[in-house]
Amino acid sequence: MSSRTARRAGGGAQLVAAIVLVASVVGAQSQTIEEKASSCGACHGEAGIPQDKTKPMIWGQQEGYLYLQLRDFKRGTRKNDEMSPIAAALEREDMLALAAYFAQKPWPSLEQARAPAEVAKRALVAIGSVGCTGCHLGEFQGDGSVPRLAGQSREYLAKTIADFRTRERGNNPGMSDLMNATSEDDLAAIVEYLAGR
Amino acid sequence: MARSGIGSPIAGALALAIAVATMGSASSQEVKSAVKYGDMTTVSQDLLNRAESDGNNFLLTNGDYWQRRYYPNTQINTANVARLHPAWIFQTEVKESLETSPIIVDGVMYVTTSFSHVYALNARTGEEIWHYKHKLGPVTTFCCGPNNRGVAAYGDMVYLATLDSKLVALDAKTGNVMWQTDLADPELGYSETMAPTAVNGKILIGTNGGEYGIRGFLRAYDAKTGKLLWNFNTIPDNSVGVWAEKDATGRDMHRDIAAEKAQLAKSGDPFKTLGGGVWQNPAVDLETNRIYFVVGNPSPDLDGSVRPGDNLYTDSLVSLDLNTGQYVCHFQYIAHDIWDLDAVSPAIITTVAGKDGKPIKGVIHAGKTGHVYVHDAKDCSLIRFSEAMVPQENMWTLPTKDGARMLPGANGGVEWSPMATNPVLGLAYAINLHQPMTYHVANAPYPQGKLWLGGAFKVIPTEEQWGNVTAVDYNTGKIRWQVKTPQPMIGGVLATAGGLVFTGEGNGQFKAYDADTGSILWKFQAGAGVNAPPSSYTVDGKQYIVVGAGGNVQLDYKRGDAIIAFTVD
Repeated sequence: MSSRTARRAGGGAQLVAAIVLVASVVGAQSQTIEEKASSCGACHGEAGIPQDKTKPMIWGQQEGYLYLQLRDFKRGTRKNDEMSPIAAALEREDMLALAAYFAQKPWPSLEQARAPAEVAKRALVAIGSVGCTGCHLGEFQGDGSVPRLAGQSREYLAKTIADFRTRERGNNPGMSDLMNATSEDDLAAIVEYLAGR
Repeated sequence: MARSGIGSPIAGALALAIAVATMGSASSQEVKSAVKYGDMTTVSQDLLNRAESDGNNFLLTNGDYWQRRYYPNTQINTANVARLHPAWIFQTEVKESLETSPIIVDGVMYVTTSFSHVYALNARTGEEIWHYKHKLGPVTTFCCGPNNRGVAAYGDMVYLATLDSKLVALDAKTGNVMWQTDLADPELGYSETMAPTAVNGKILIGTNGGEYGIRGFLRAYDAKTGKLLWNFNTIPDNSVGVWAEKDATGRDMHRDIAAEKAQLAKSGDPFKTLGGGVWQNPAVDLETNRIYFVVGNPSPDLDGSVRPGDNLYTDSLVSLDLNTGQYVCHFQYIAHDIWDLDAVSPAIITTVAGKDGKPIKGVIHAGKTGHVYVHDAKDCSLIRFSEAMVPQENMWTLPTKDGARMLPGANGGVEWSPMATNPVLGLAYAINLHQPMTYHVANAPYPQGKLWLGGAFKVIPTEEQWGNVTAVDYNTGKIRWQVKTPQPMIGGVLATAGGLVFTGEGNGQFKAYDADTGSILWKFQAGAGVNAPPSSYTVDGKQYIVVGAGGNVQLDYKRGDAIIAFTVD
């Protein structure tokens, strides 16, 4: 409840920020991709590490996945107070270019601790049960439209899984189904395991 | 290329320059060419027609047009297989799931890897001739790994279907792109992992996407130009069917027909997003000019509430006219499937005992249910089904929100793994999984090309998993022999006239079995999962067995990057 109140209180400031970002991301046609992408750093980190740990790292993330998220923000199938207005103003070419730009950046290390052996063991059993590696692949690096999970921010992973479970994150019902079929304790272990890889 | 023999480096370079100049729009692709190898044989239709008796080449994904996977050479046999040893090992640059069926044409081998790479290799030595690395588009949509099951060879080209849903024709000598055709939009959930089939100037190809709400198809493209010749929607405009209440074996599937009819009246026919992927090659009968293939699961996999009706032609054997793509007949194994126990292992044409015991042309298919089904090729009707090859429990329990246990699990029984046959013994060899699962249902609207499972299937971690290799007498449906394996099996099988059956395991073991008894006659530890169908070939008078050892995404078996050829000296 408290977090929801806080979010509502912060809505006005976020909207202003989003409008500023929309203006800078969309910008003039003459902007280079570097210029268009530069404003993304405000949230996603100038060097690829977001200050707010519930924001995802997008440097080095899979290109197709980044593109599809922008597309879905624009379509409204994924909703976010900051990203939705930004994406609404983007054309497909912009989305593809931004996705390619960030995908080529190096994946930063958050130096998150490796999960303890018992946690890792629990995580791997749960991962094997629903078959996460079928899409995210053996090293959890993802590919194409499937995101890298290994080394992603612990807080973002936890928030995303929670949002899939409530279907607040609505742009991948298959993921919602898989997360809902997995216990909260197992998911907590998976978050620790993936963050520390 | 130490053994390439003909062609000076200058001639090779000139050929390459000419080839590059003619590549056109394909110049963005990466091709690492080498000097061409030897006198590469044109794969004529006549050669393909006689593939079942060709003891030198391995020309089609499953050996011959009937897909029998029965290799006619007897040089490697029960008497000498104990002396089988690696002749060479080729390491690809892709350490990921290998499902390729090696194609061998006159001493040149074509293999593919995950992420749609193709290699041409010297089949004598394993040396690389060329490497085509398809430049995948940003969006690739795959449910079960970035796999590829191989190429088709035809004329002077080899054909590849790619993860980003394109059909590509490559110059067999150089790997350069001759033409490329978009099959479907990956953003809507379409992808390609199957090998194409080449026949009578056509390239036949299906599609993946049954987990993403696609509308499946099987198509024929012109082999020379890439032009679409015909399209068959695996989901017809009227997908409702006959409201079948029982499966192919007569068991009640517990459908709520009244609720489905009410839903149909409300939402209409769900055909546009009903799935129905085609994972494996069609069998081709040139005598009747017909093809036979199986169609995969409906979308979403586990939630039947949004897709009323039998969901034709999902979970079915389908036969079409080769020239026109017109429907001839079908047989549905599971109407309105809500367990993903669909039809994926390729259909095989062979002579079987008909209902009256007399030999007729039949079609056999191994289901995820754990049965081998035997059909009359004339009208697709079911003649018999085999004893269950794996435990079946609580069939057909409906999926629930919290999960209902039922066996087999959603991977089978028999997954996409092709069977092999021995027509002399009348046996079909299938590899099976025993993987207990719970089936969970959830509801979500069509997600426009995103994963659409309608629930989840979960492996029960506390229950034992295993696999088996099973020989089924397709003339009686009885199990002749069965060998249990420590892990669920996925990959494929090859039988030979030398009285052998070859198949590999997730733990790296590659084994030869006595075709008649199932005795293990030889084994080799490949170091990574052997989860691909083996092939065989003969070059310079020496027979080889070849297989990929790259592990498997779906079952998370240890990944590798090796193509290994074996021979006896």
